[in-house]
Amino acid sequence: MMGGLPRHPLGGRRAGGTALIISGALLLIGAATSVARGAIARDAARARWAEIEAERAVAGAKLSAGGGRWSEARGTPVARVVVPRLGLDEVVVEGVGNDELRAGPGHMIGSALPGDSGTSVISAHRDRHFHALGGIAMGDTVVTESARGTVVWRVSRIRVVNADDPALDARTTPTLMLTTCWPIRYLGPAPDRLIVEAVPK
Amino acid sequence: MTHNLGRAALAAMMIVCAGTAKAQITTFVASPPRKIEPAQQVAAQQREKVAQDSVARVAMTGMKEWVDSASAALAIRPDTVPTTSDTAVGTPRAATAPAPKSDSSASAGTSERQPEFRNGARAPNTATPIPVIGLAGVVLILTGMAMKPRERTARARVRR
Repeated sequence: MMGGLPRHPLGGRRAGGTALIISGALLLIGAATSVARGAIARDAARARWAEIEAERAVAGAKLSAGGGRWSEARGTPVARVVVPRLGLDEVVVEGVGNDELRAGPGHMIGSALPGDSGTSVISAHRDRHFHALGGIAMGDTVVTESARGTVVWRVSRIRVVNADDPALDARTTPTLMLTTCWPIRYLGPAPDRLIVEAVPK
Repeated sequence: MTHNLGRAALAAMMIVCAGTAKAQITTFVASPPRKIEPAQQVAAQQREKVAQDSVARVAMTGMKEWVDSASAALAIRPDTVPTTSDTAVGTPRAATAPAPKSDSSASAGTSERQPEFRNGARAPNTATPIPVIGLAGVVLILTGMAMKPRERTARARVRR
């Protein structure tokens, strides 16, 4: 039918090319789906945070600093972190698992809530919510809102540590630690971690 | 004869079982309740009251112990146990902070182990494979497309 063309080599190449294109498309679709799910989860977290803030405003139920026991279910919005100079404005959810980090920066379970005494750890993906953190500088202002109130922080220390280093230390004074993978632009699992420390202004 | 034996057995059964079947057997006369002297009655009431009091006291003690043991169990959860350096730094939160909600509902669908904060903890793993997956997809698509023109070139070559 095709003028007696030898179909074998051409058919194999054609099939191989088609298979590669389909595989690539599936990978792209998978990545895009993950990003889309993250965006949806992020929007949901923002909406829930807005509700929580409204409820708190109505009830006047702000807890005094250091008062009350902190416990929240994973994935629940617990705070908001803003770095005005970098245009970073994210709602923080409880937990640092994959699902939580897809929705936004995660508050490390067991650490203090921003505004409490002690170390508060907030982590996020370098290629999503904390991408802008690569441009942070000493003295930058960070603002957090949580059930403990609004706190204005000043970046006091920036360090890069190995991923396996025990870099998070418990303190008695209020300390905010923002962490993400380092280098910010890196293909594959990043070997280091960027840790930005801030103290109340 | 057998009739008589049967009646006798029935009568014997009625007598023997009269105590337990007093509601049905009207001929059974229950023994009158023992008269209790007023002094004995007061003493019995006092004994009962004391017994009730002691029972209540025991229950309260048990509750307290239960609460203590529950709080102790929370305090020594492996993920909230303060390390030696915790003590040295003196972080009250690590030692006294409540364990986060056991979030069984939240984690019901995932068996993912969450890192929890303690002194000397590592920064959470925030790496994501999405960029690599995306790049791999782009490379595969480009490679596949690169193979198509070669196919056309080969066809043209074969036609010639």
